[in-house]
Amino acid sequence: MPVDQRRINGPEVSVPYHIYSDFNKKSDKVKHDFSKRSDKRIDSEIRKIFLKTGIVSQAKGSAYIEMGNTKVVCSVFDPRELSNKNGYCMQGEIYCEFKFAPFSCQKRKIHQQNAEEKQYSLILQRALEPAVCLHEFPNFQVDVYVMVLDNAGSSLAAAIMAASTALANAGVPMFGLVTASTIGIYGNHYLMDPTDTEEAICNTQPDNEDDFNHGIITLASLPQHNQISEVFLIGSIDTNTIKQATEILTAANKDICPVLQQCLVKTIMKLHNEKK
Amino acid sequence: MSKDKDIIVCVPGQRLCVSDKYNIAGPGTYEQQGYIYSKLAGVIKLIQKENTRTIEVHGITEQSIVPAPGDIVTAMVTIVNQRFCKCSIKCIGDIVLTRPYRGILRKEDVRAIDKDNIQMYKSFRPGDIILARVMPMTEAHTYQLSTAENELGVVIAHSEEGVAMIPINWTQMQCPKTLRKEFRKVAKVVPEHVIAEQ
Amino acid sequence: MAETVLSSGEKIFILHGIDADFRNDGRRRCEYRSMEIETKLMPQTHGSARLHIGNTDILVGIKVELDIPHADKPNEGKLEFFVDCSATATPAFEGKGGDDLATEISNVLIAAYQTRNAFDLKTLCILPHKKCWKIYVDVLILQCGGNLFDAVGIAVKAALNSTEIPKITAATLDGGEPDIELSDDCIQLDTSNYPIIITLCKIGDNYIVDPTLEEEVCSTSSIVMSVLPNGKISSVVKLGCGSIQFNTFTKMLQMGEIIGLKLNKTLMDVLKEENQFGRQRRIFGFLK
Repeated sequence: MPVDQRRINGPEVSVPYHIYSDFNKKSDKVKHDFSKRSDKRIDSEIRKIFLKTGIVSQAKGSAYIEMGNTKVVCSVFDPRELSNKNGYCMQGEIYCEFKFAPFSCQKRKIHQQNAEEKQYSLILQRALEPAVCLHEFPNFQVDVYVMVLDNAGSSLAAAIMAASTALANAGVPMFGLVTASTIGIYGNHYLMDPTDTEEAICNTQPDNEDDFNHGIITLASLPQHNQISEVFLIGSIDTNTIKQATEILTAANKDICPVLQQCLVKTIMKLHNEKK
Repeated sequence: MSKDKDIIVCVPGQRLCVSDKYNIAGPGTYEQQGYIYSKLAGVIKLIQKENTRTIEVHGITEQSIVPAPGDIVTAMVTIVNQRFCKCSIKCIGDIVLTRPYRGILRKEDVRAIDKDNIQMYKSFRPGDIILARVMPMTEAHTYQLSTAENELGVVIAHSEEGVAMIPINWTQMQCPKTLRKEFRKVAKVVPEHVIAEQ
Repeated sequence: MAETVLSSGEKIFILHGIDADFRNDGRRRCEYRSMEIETKLMPQTHGSARLHIGNTDILVGIKVELDIPHADKPNEGKLEFFVDCSATATPAFEGKGGDDLATEISNVLIAAYQTRNAFDLKTLCILPHKKCWKIYVDVLILQCGGNLFDAVGIAVKAALNSTEIPKITAATLDGGEPDIELSDDCIQLDTSNYPIIITLCKIGDNYIVDPTLEEEVCSTSSIVMSVLPNGKISSVVKLGCGSIQFNTFTKMLQMGEIIGLKLNKTLMDVLKEENQFGRQRRIFGFLK
């Protein structure tokens, strides 16, 4: 990928210092205590969600979500005309941009989107597309910008929910709301809504076990219509486990839906009262 | 969802009621498998008629509006050449757009009569503010506009001196400072109270 | 993607064909088109493969180079995928047109090979902190005739299977500087658990494998999954703008697993067969 040469990104190969200082601790990390999680949740428990709309005054619609320490802002702007590259499109498009703030992760991120962020942008777009009435704004494009301020795990799921709330807040016609959740799988453990350390653990396979399930699944769905809008799995998991995990995630997504609904109702009531 | 005094609030994807002969899905809603669902986050309005009821959902924020065929728009002329002029659409009706849209006004759509003798340079100049009607989209990308009505055409134009000109007939405008006359396709602006009386 | 425009009549025809389990080219829903595969055809590479399936034509070249391990993973080598959707395949890829698809394909590849269960990066390490192998997998799409993901997956696996890395006879630290001696012998990668990619394309109420370009146009959603030979799934991603029901999703997943295992076995058998011809094998390359 060509990188913008005009922008100074600092030294190209700097590394965070903890990878050297934590050397002795690293062995502890692998022996993560699965009997209790760092934030005292049980395995099937998701973190508390705080959701608020209308936090960016310049945007048509915006939302802020907090899940534990994960903090994500999303803004949606007015539709704009598509540049006429492929002629007239009968359907509108959504363009998503997912970005980690430079200081949001353990390792510093550069200002440009890296491969992971580009991938997340595409996933975000595909998660939202089934929910938006694209035929209502032909040849127009709605821009969705997501910025992760603090990544403490499950930021993709948080981004999807923030984006869906922001779209509804912007008055973009939608077939339904999109909710998303993440599950980390490590052997027999199903960790709902994993934190970043838990995500790192679920991503690595223990050294001497070959037949071992590990990985992370993010599932976005339209709970009002019982549809799955996007799945993203990475790791090494057998089909039965995936089936079970998706069942858990679908149920969780259904449970989260009222949070989004309440948040939107609150916004409507507030605006309605202001109008009076 | 929640009923507060007189309003019913709903969110996208919320099932509102059964779709049948009596209940009809209106703007802001959609039908799926025999039910009416909401498309927007907003307030429900029920429109009672003799033996039907139309269900509408009105968004609480102002809608992102897009020019539709038949709309009267206010636009600024940006480029004029012999065959057409390009404009940037600023308002639809009385709603100011947050983003301008591109429009094109062809020579044959300037006026309804004597179409063969239209000269673009005698009708519009860059910087003019015009009223125009959006034509049905035949071709991609840009909105086609028409001023072939008495009430449509140039509303505000400035002379070389930079002074707003005054219309003197339907093809000419005059600069109050230099008294120079310039050609324009002038709109016959009808005051709103006159329309109301009609 | 490519500019294949179908009328609604044509789409309905394809849809009905799939409903009846009899597709336009006479295949059943879960049948692949016949494939042609050839490995070790590029002399400049350490491993290469070319795959033909229908009108899809993929060329994969593998280069192995020496590198320094990442500081946070001192005893792991590197594996990188580059996909090039050049305009030679279809005019739709002109300029930046193919970039999105290329990112998509390389993302799937990265995800598929990410787990240690599939590809153990530790085998690429020569001297921790100092030297490791870096494998560049370059995928070139020469022709685009539908089902790119599966084709790329198979071609990459075949190419990796044919890859030969020089054997290291001695690796020592000489005053802090790594000192490596290579021999003329080569070692092969342990391909026993490399994934292949299966796309299940949902059209109407059914799902099919190996869609042609026309069939891809009819589909609104598809699932791309990578299946390991031991039956595990190493990545799943949904593509397209449609949504799917939970039940359909699990059914597609199971179907994908079965097909993946079968395809994997067939591929390995074929590669073994090809290998038996040894060095005397005539290379067809592009002369066919």
